[in-house]
Amino acid sequence: MADDPTRTSAPIHDVVMIGAGPAALSAAIYTTREDIDTVLYERGVVGGLAAVTDWIDNYPGFPQGISGLEYADKLREQAERFGAQIELGEVMRIQANVKGITDEGKYKRLETTDGEVLAKAVLIATGSDYKKIGVPGEQEFYAHGVHYCATCDGAFYRDKRLVVVGGGNSAVQEAMFLTKFATHIDLLVRSDHMRASEILQQELKEKHVDKITVHFNTTTDEIVGADGKVQKVIGANKTTGEKVEFETDGVFIFVGLKPNTEFLAGTDIELDEIGLIKAKDNLETSVPGVFVAGDVRSGATMQIASATGDGATAALYIREYLDGHSRQFGE
Amino acid sequence: MVKSITIFTTNTCAYCAMVKKWLDKKGLGYEVVNLDEKPERQAEALALSGALTVPVTVVTKHDDSKEVVVGFNLAKLAPAVA
Repeated sequence: MADDPTRTSAPIHDVVMIGAGPAALSAAIYTTREDIDTVLYERGVVGGLAAVTDWIDNYPGFPQGISGLEYADKLREQAERFGAQIELGEVMRIQANVKGITDEGKYKRLETTDGEVLAKAVLIATGSDYKKIGVPGEQEFYAHGVHYCATCDGAFYRDKRLVVVGGGNSAVQEAMFLTKFATHIDLLVRSDHMRASEILQQELKEKHVDKITVHFNTTTDEIVGADGKVQKVIGANKTTGEKVEFETDGVFIFVGLKPNTEFLAGTDIELDEIGLIKAKDNLETSVPGVFVAGDVRSGATMQIASATGDGATAALYIREYLDGHSRQFGE
Repeated sequence: MVKSITIFTTNTCAYCAMVKKWLDKKGLGYEVVNLDEKPERQAEALALSGALTVPVTVVTKHDDSKEVVVGFNLAKLAPAVA
């Protein structure tokens, strides 16, 4: 039963890639150049989180930096140039996200919202999304004052006050981007230091000190508003224990990343304690023929440059796997 | 049947680019209202969508009824333009 694809009209591909961020698009450049039939399924934005990042300054080869949107578009164009097929889900009522993977030996069966697809090999490169902090008001005011994408929603805060939560690269980078619109930004950092890179911290101090006030050791405990509008953020100073309040028109939250692996529940693909996918040195998961690359891989450094490297590495091992697949199944 | 499509966007919004690409692929024309260039129309986008976000895609049907889709949401966008 399992090895007979003729029992279904599902299309068969050499490799199906789940996600179309930097890792998958890089892998697709390599596989398509080897004439490996490659389809990518993307439920969100082609380019992933890189596409919604205002500016990328640390990707090699762009001495002046590049906008996230432009970078994503170039990567897509390059992958498509060699024949990568990106499915955005044109079927009615459907997003083309892959919902489950079944290992049937010769083929992996993927259930997508467009229908079933068979693949000799699979690359999971679903990346991650920004985490929620889980405080009162966060859900209630989502898209009405609480946001996770500065490049999408920042323009609504022209001449307004904002709070940005987080102390990593994304929080600092996006806070600096938001100064284009906001009159003032309170940056709430939970610990006594920032995780953001030194160069971003320097830029913050040198160019944005007039508009961004950094509050270290400050928790974000509640987002308060009325009539559908955010009015203030309530937190606490961890050093003194005092309650602190920040009047604001909106809150942008960048407190880390959550892996997109929920769809793997019930499969044999092994995850680590935070939900990232475990991989061998060849980036193969615990299921033969299913590979992983990019931010969703356990041990990933969550950088665009390392995601593209992962993609290239995975593609080379996928090619090797497909060679073995051909020998085993005689194709 | 679709009479017209209007997308409220900003210069930096990746999801807006996805909506435009998807409509291009479907061969559907649309008007773009760039809120970076026309901030005075933000209130209009907010009134239509009820949310402080873009993209907001407004699909006007031949009977002048409107469907509003917030974000790059193909589950809603595909039936809206069908």
